[in-house]
Amino acid sequence: MKTLIRAGWTLWLPVLLVTIWWFASANSTNIYVPSLSRIVEVLWRDISSGLLIDAARVSLTNLAVGLLIAAAVGILLGLLIGETRRLRLILDPYIHFFRSVPQSALVPLIIGAMGIGAAPKIYTVAFACVWPILLNTIDGVRGVEPTIRSVSRVFGVPKLLYFRRVVLPGAMPQVVAGLRVALPIGIVVMVVSELFASNQGLGFYILNSSATFQIPETWGGALMVGVIGYIIVIMFSLFERRVLSWYFRSGAL
Amino acid sequence: MTAPQSIHTGSLDVLGGEVLLDVSHVSMGYGDGEHEKRILEDLNLKVGHSEFVSIVGPSGVGKTTLLRGLSGLLPPKRGTVSVAGQTITGPHPDIAAVFQDYSRSLMPWMTTRENVAFPLQGQGVGRRERNRRAEESLEEVGLSGQGDKYPWEMSGGMQQRVAIARALAYHAKVLLMDEPFASVDAQTRFDLEDLVVNLREALGVTIVLVTHDVDEAIYLADRVIVIAEKPATVVDVIETGFGTVRDQVDTKADPRFQDARGRILTRLRKA
Ligand SMILES: Nc1ncnc2c1ncn2[C@@H]1O[C@H](COP(=O)(O)OP(=O)(O)O)[C@@H](O)[C@H]1O
Ligand SMILES: [Mg+2]
Repeated sequence: MKTLIRAGWTLWLPVLLVTIWWFASANSTNIYVPSLSRIVEVLWRDISSGLLIDAARVSLTNLAVGLLIAAAVGILLGLLIGETRRLRLILDPYIHFFRSVPQSALVPLIIGAMGIGAAPKIYTVAFACVWPILLNTIDGVRGVEPTIRSVSRVFGVPKLLYFRRVVLPGAMPQVVAGLRVALPIGIVVMVVSELFASNQGLGFYILNSSATFQIPETWGGALMVGVIGYIIVIMFSLFERRVLSWYFRSGAL
Repeated sequence: MTAPQSIHTGSLDVLGGEVLLDVSHVSMGYGDGEHEKRILEDLNLKVGHSEFVSIVGPSGVGKTTLLRGLSGLLPPKRGTVSVAGQTITGPHPDIAAVFQDYSRSLMPWMTTRENVAFPLQGQGVGRRERNRRAEESLEEVGLSGQGDKYPWEMSGGMQQRVAIARALAYHAKVLLMDEPFASVDAQTRFDLEDLVVNLREALGVTIVLVTHDVDEAIYLADRVIVIAEKPATVVDVIETGFGTVRDQVDTKADPRFQDARGRILTRLRKA
């Protein structure tokens, strides 16, 4: 019953908005704003034909691999840089330079340089996502309680064990915050990367339909990306609750 | 009834037997060269097996700095610290520590048992043996069966017990304690003081405890080292002669306790 009420609270607004959209667009004559029923119709058509499913599979695979690379590189480097003062001094300017460059603007360059295929798209996603993860991890490592560091040193905890059981969990709340920031960036860059030198994926579906004036398909593709993004964020929250359960339960908010 | 005894001016050398911890001409400070801020100057102290030494001094005098030197966290500017005849160059397996702020010294992502067992993992002790020793130490500090709790589910006093258990499980020869009871309420503090007194008697660990609390220093120790001045040096040493048993009421009413208290407070007022 409680979950039902909560679900009700979460859902009433989107349901209302969709309903308004549905009726307000029902008799639309503007070709750029097709009726929602028309959008849903083509969406359903392309989903059941497998066209959109294939596109989503390609896109999500690139996204997942790109994010994994970004997480691995960002967390590992973040742990090292956060823990080593000298590395921080040397690398700080570069990190802040690259994180300030608008990632979407680099997409055509990277793809131009690396050519077609999945690799450059994975690379662009990874490149865009690595910065928030890296910066947050460094901050998280810096924030690990100095007394806990002293404890680890007094008890002679070896470096690798120290990273795995002390620094990483200590920085984990921030690492997860970095991942949360990286997710939507990754989704956007994934789509944008498929607008260039591409013949598959959700971005290509959107670009292709828009270039051929299939406006409902363009809307449908965008809607699909939005829904996928939403589902990913929900799944991420579940993951977050799991890995940070000590953090939430200790009330260290 | 024995005649009331009087306190003795103690020595910086051990009362008898072997020297376990040897602090020799230790000077400590922060910063280098001209910019050095000297905190401790030419400190000498020898501590014997199973001895309980407390070092008392006003806040900011350099007690924590000294313990950082003894634990190998901060190398002395001059002089040496050796344990069991070995000069230390950094953290040493014969030395364990309990820090002042229990809420910052335990890892909130580990259960109590994991916190206690963790240092053993670094020494390559297997999981089963680690857990056995953790359970044993938790029992020694009166926390048997509480291993699955997280530190933040416990009161301050219990958390500090966990920190003590962690140091015990490490099986070090010397236990360093930095104002370990400064952040708990009075009753909990008495309980913890008596716990430490009993642990010393039961396990024979050697304890060096620093505190700004004169009563605590006298109550716990065989020898009280008084440090003061800037930079800090030893200004007095007192042998309490209480033996290994204490009582919060009787010991504190003992004329020797009162004598020591008066003497130290007077000495610190002068500084
Ligand atoms: N990391 C540090 N750098 C510079 N000065 C310090 C540092 N830590 C402590 N001090 C100074 O050293 C003195 C002694 O500090 P501390 O050992 O913490 O005293 P106590 O533990 O007796 O209160 C204080 O004046 C303090 O400001
Ligand atoms: Mg201190």
